[in-house]
Amino acid sequence: MAKKKILVVDDEMDMRFYVTALLESNGYQALAMRDGKTGLQQAREDRPDLIILDIMMPGDGGVKMYSRLKTDPALADIPVIMLSAVAEPSFRHFLAMLNTQNAQPVPDPAAYLEKPLDHARLLDSIRQTIG
Amino acid sequence: MERTILLVDDEPDIREVLDIYLTELGYAVHTAENGEKALAAFHRTVPSIVLSDIKMPGMDGIELLRRIKSENPETEVIMITGHGDMDLAIDSLKLEATDFITKPVNDEILEFALQRAEERIEMRHRLRAYTENLEQMVEEKTSQLLESEKMAAVGRVAAELSHTIKNIAGALKGGIYVLGRGIEDDNREYLQRGWDMVRGNVDKIKNLSLDLLNFGKGEDLQLTVADPLVPLAEVLTLLQPKAAERDIALRTELAEGLPSCCFDPESIYLCLLNLVQNALEAFDEEAARSVDREVVVRAFKPPGWAVAFAVSDNGPGMDNDTRDRLFKGFFSTKGTRGTGIGLTMTKRIVERHGGTIEVLSSRGTGTRFTICLPDNPQ
Repeated sequence: MAKKKILVVDDEMDMRFYVTALLESNGYQALAMRDGKTGLQQAREDRPDLIILDIMMPGDGGVKMYSRLKTDPALADIPVIMLSAVAEPSFRHFLAMLNTQNAQPVPDPAAYLEKPLDHARLLDSIRQTIG
Repeated sequence: MERTILLVDDEPDIREVLDIYLTELGYAVHTAENGEKALAAFHRTVPSIVLSDIKMPGMDGIELLRRIKSENPETEVIMITGHGDMDLAIDSLKLEATDFITKPVNDEILEFALQRAEERIEMRHRLRAYTENLEQMVEEKTSQLLESEKMAAVGRVAAELSHTIKNIAGALKGGIYVLGRGIEDDNREYLQRGWDMVRGNVDKIKNLSLDLLNFGKGEDLQLTVADPLVPLAEVLTLLQPKAAERDIALRTELAEGLPSCCFDPESIYLCLLNLVQNALEAFDEEAARSVDREVVVRAFKPPGWAVAFAVSDNGPGMDNDTRDRLFKGFFSTKGTRGTGIGLTMTKRIVERHGGTIEVLSSRGTGTRFTICLPDNPQ
């Protein structure tokens, strides 16, 4: 069986390397991008099985990339795990506010993990999401 | 409480009758037969109420009223007037007599006048107590408010700090994980990367603590008249090796005969150190390049300002979004190395001087920061 492909989007180089190293040593294929814009491009080109997405990044942040993913029929079914220093209630509030303006509401992510990264929890969430 | 009353009348009969009557009402009564003696008694006994005839030989009642009111405006003075003294009575009211009663003195009217005087005294006491209370309350509330505002500011800084430290801790954990995998799998690349992550983040903690130490320095400026090129020269000496290490030409263009001006040399040194350091580190983010790396520091005197410093690099430059967020505390473009405090502090120091800081930047051409300092810092 081919390795599952996971796209990591984070502006911190150390974080990108940490997460990709974690994924690779657990049997996944990992690729990483540094902002929402390049992340979205990569998602279109590569069709990953899962996306791990940071929120606060310079340029196009994670929320923008997330709502673009979820409103694009070609990408909407790729599960997303948010991994951010932003507290989960703040993100959910933000999403709810966004949804009041959007014609097409954006669903919740597959999982939400707060930084600092707990790698056991991230692996659990990945397994639950894509096996 | 027994109140003291001073009774002034040149007619002994009236003094005697009123003395008995007032004593019966419960007052401690002092009497005087003319204005001069009344003033002496007033000083000696400090009565809260003075009851005085208006027409007396020597110093009359009006003059006595004026003196008493000027010495102690809170004394209640009731004037006793004869028939046809209406003009004098009105004069006395203009001089803030509490009341006037006419001779022959009617007991009920006197009692009524005294009661009014008492009420006024009582009211004044309460008002004073209330005002004092109010002042105390205002003081208490103000200090509470100040304290909570201070705490709110501290809270904001603490929240940002906590975020920064959390990121460093996360990256350290990442470095340790990657190192661990490197050891386990005997993977050379993981070992090298993990080691870099740990080292980079330890440096970051060190920088953060130094920045925090300097963060408070913009608060109180130590203004002196000095040569503006002195702090700049120190910065350049300190950073030349760093520039050479990175293969960057660090050049200066200094206007000749720049006059001395008034500024805080230590905090301006920190600002310049920050800007030049940032300019040097701007190149770290870019890969290969065709043009020679260069940082130029200029010092000159623009019209209307004492001195200006401009620090330019021909590095990768910034996009608009990054530029807009530059001065908003704790925002860093430097990944593991930056703490994001430097520019916020620099801006604050410059603004404390009454100066300006400007940034010009575009992707591909580089960045220029310019600080202008005024002739007369606030």
